[in-house]
Amino acid sequence: MIEFKNVNKVYPDGTEAIKDFSLEIKEGELMTLIGPSGCGKTTTMKMINRLIDPTSGSIYINGKAITDYNIHELRWNIGYVLQQIALFPHMSIAENIAVVPEMKKWKKQEIVSRSHDLLDMVGLDPSTFGNRMPGELSGGQQQRIGVIRALAADPDIILMDEPFSALDPISREQLQNDIQQLQKEIKKTIVFVTHDMDEALKLGDRICLMKDGSMVQVDQAEQLIMNPANDFVKDFLGNKKSPWETTVGSIVDQQMDAIITKSIYESQTFPSQGTYIVVDEHSDYVDMVRNGSVFHGKTVRHDMTLSQAVELLQESDQLLFPVLDKQQVVGILTYPQIVAYLKSKTAIENGVTHQ
Amino acid sequence: MSNFIAVFEQRQEMLLRTIMEHLQISLISLMIAIVIAVPLGLLLTRYPKAAEPVIGVSAVLQTIPSLAVLAFLIPFFGIGTTPAIIALILYGLLPILRNTYTGIREVDPALKEAATGMGMNSFRRLTKIELPIAMPVIMAGIRTSMVLIVGTTTIAALIGAGGLGEIILLGLDRGADIHLILLGAIPAALLAIALDMILRIFERFSKKAGLKSFIAMLVLVVLIVAAPLILNGTKQADLVIGGKMGSEPDILINMYKLLIEDQTDLEVGLEPNLGKTAFVFSALQQGSIDIFPEFTGTAIVTHLEDQANSNDAKEVYEQAKQGMKEEFGMELLMPMEFNNTYTVATTEELAERYDLEEIGDLKQIENEITAGFTLEFNDRYDGYVGMQEVYNLQIADVKTMEPGIRESALSNGEVDIIDAYATDSYMVELDLVTLSDPENLFPPYQGAPLLREDTLEEYPVLRDILNQLSGKITDDEMREMNYQVDYEDESAEIVAREYLIREGLITN
Repeated sequence: MIEFKNVNKVYPDGTEAIKDFSLEIKEGELMTLIGPSGCGKTTTMKMINRLIDPTSGSIYINGKAITDYNIHELRWNIGYVLQQIALFPHMSIAENIAVVPEMKKWKKQEIVSRSHDLLDMVGLDPSTFGNRMPGELSGGQQQRIGVIRALAADPDIILMDEPFSALDPISREQLQNDIQQLQKEIKKTIVFVTHDMDEALKLGDRICLMKDGSMVQVDQAEQLIMNPANDFVKDFLGNKKSPWETTVGSIVDQQMDAIITKSIYESQTFPSQGTYIVVDEHSDYVDMVRNGSVFHGKTVRHDMTLSQAVELLQESDQLLFPVLDKQQVVGILTYPQIVAYLKSKTAIENGVTHQ
Repeated sequence: MSNFIAVFEQRQEMLLRTIMEHLQISLISLMIAIVIAVPLGLLLTRYPKAAEPVIGVSAVLQTIPSLAVLAFLIPFFGIGTTPAIIALILYGLLPILRNTYTGIREVDPALKEAATGMGMNSFRRLTKIELPIAMPVIMAGIRTSMVLIVGTTTIAALIGAGGLGEIILLGLDRGADIHLILLGAIPAALLAIALDMILRIFERFSKKAGLKSFIAMLVLVVLIVAAPLILNGTKQADLVIGGKMGSEPDILINMYKLLIEDQTDLEVGLEPNLGKTAFVFSALQQGSIDIFPEFTGTAIVTHLEDQANSNDAKEVYEQAKQGMKEEFGMELLMPMEFNNTYTVATTEELAERYDLEEIGDLKQIENEITAGFTLEFNDRYDGYVGMQEVYNLQIADVKTMEPGIRESALSNGEVDIIDAYATDSYMVELDLVTLSDPENLFPPYQGAPLLREDTLEEYPVLRDILNQLSGKITDDEMREMNYQVDYEDESAEIVAREYLIREGLITN
């Protein structure tokens, strides 16, 4: 478990890189740090292995302040994957993997079998790749080695600093899948810095969105999308939200033509054809009337997503649904309305869907 | 070519010895330069603010001409291998220092961060990551230094450190003998190439075997190369006699040695062929030599920075003796007979054709002849300036040139007259005619032993021993002995011994 407590970082020139940052990263959790460049996400991550020391505040690993650990031993137990990959060019792949285990004084035999296992794990044949030099590998292969080098000494924590941003899209996706797969098997605490929202949403158990050195919102992907804390979050996410996830409440037709009060119903001064919703004097839902006769129609709650609502809609032959906030009718939902909304949210260009 | 081979065969032994010396001096200097510059360069990468000034200073060191560095070092370290090695180290520092600094600085910052982030301490990061990656750049610096040092080591011969420069200087002294110069220069170049190859092999080996074995190899090489030097350095002479470049001083110091060793129990060491007058003089002041033969004229003009008050040999000697005593606390013992003064020389043919005997006889052909004078002679009153005034000469064409090449210019017919030193051996070889100086324009340059007063106080017997040569050795005798050494390749020691026996000064 990693815990940031009121961490600040002020550079000598007065720049405030990190402002009062507090965050708890649970054991086995993959936390992505994301934000526009200069937001402090990399600085935050590098404070964990003390490449950068905070100006004030503390960071704890398993309840112990990181300054109380021997700095080298601390780092041996924190794997580190860099954006630039940074395999040591004068060492073979096997030697690169062995760097931290050697410092931890592992036995030679242990190191050899560990590096074999790791190479196998990422699908690189140990006997072929072990003796190669980093320069002989493709970018994607190199970063695979970068990842297993970080895993080599079996650390509890792994820091990844935009590890896949320099790779081509295909390698990137493969490695992202590898990480997801790995995380399922090995369950490390991973802090993953990225500027790619899709990557953050795909990999992160939780996502920490930062801006100007401050944390804006920490949440699971769905929550972030559904409940953005403010416009910045919404903007940064872009149109990540599927229109199907929109709450019904936000698209209801507030035209009240189809709503009649109990008194009107009782006085029968409304058209005999058509469907109407009857409400009481508090606008609370009472009943529905179709072609003059009362029936118990289906209703939808205002906080249902569109997709949930549509499920419900499909079970009924109703054409018009009251939308309720508790008992109060806040509007109506109809098929034409849903179609119009979906159309407005989905631009169709050259046959490819852009959301 | 056949001449060159003949010279090579004749000088084989000397060549082998000087190559060994050259190798020793170069390698020791290079190793020490590495030992200083590499750690310093590494240190500078940790204190980058100090880097520019420090590298700047080493660059300044590099710009000082090597001769000037040697001259500067003699008062502190005397002559011989030590000052030579110090000067060479100063020369070798810059390329190694700069390349070490840049090599380490240019290691990809991401790699440094990866190493730090993985928990390497500063030393481990340096030895495991930075040094191996910077190694090719550092080695390039070392190789540049090596070439510089091997080249500059030829200068070391000027202060008696030996090396291939000895052969080159000898060649220059012998009228720019091209074969001798090549015999020194070619091995020096080959040595640089060979060492470059060895360093490259080292580099490749170090990549495989790691840094520790690399350092071990360096230490081993230093030991192997330095061992003979250290062993040699242990034998100490009671007195060291130095001599300037050339056969004449070499013969004279051998005479001193023979006389002293014959008549006392003192052990005498010799340092022949020291480059420049100023070097020998500083060495005497500093104490690394105790005696050297100096000319009375030179003592006045060069050391006392004065002019001779008279043209009479005896008066000039008295002036020099007094001056050296007062100014430097040195004793100039009694001079020998020969007068190695400036003289004007021409070919026998020209002398016969125009019946030339005296300098003044040149007047009749002053519009037709070309003179080859040294820069110094051309500029001195007791040189061409005085000739113009005293003998009223206006020679049509005067070319200035290095001393070593005057006689070949004369024998080639490029010039018709040259300035010469009266006892130079090529006078004999080339059958040159010297023109007499009835007006005594040129002051006497008589050879006499120069030594510090404290040496004389310690060994008062030296005065009588060395004064035995007073008034001996005529111009002709000196010239003849020089000829034997220069052209008949007789050793200076044998020539000196024969003369002393003939004169009855020693018995065998």
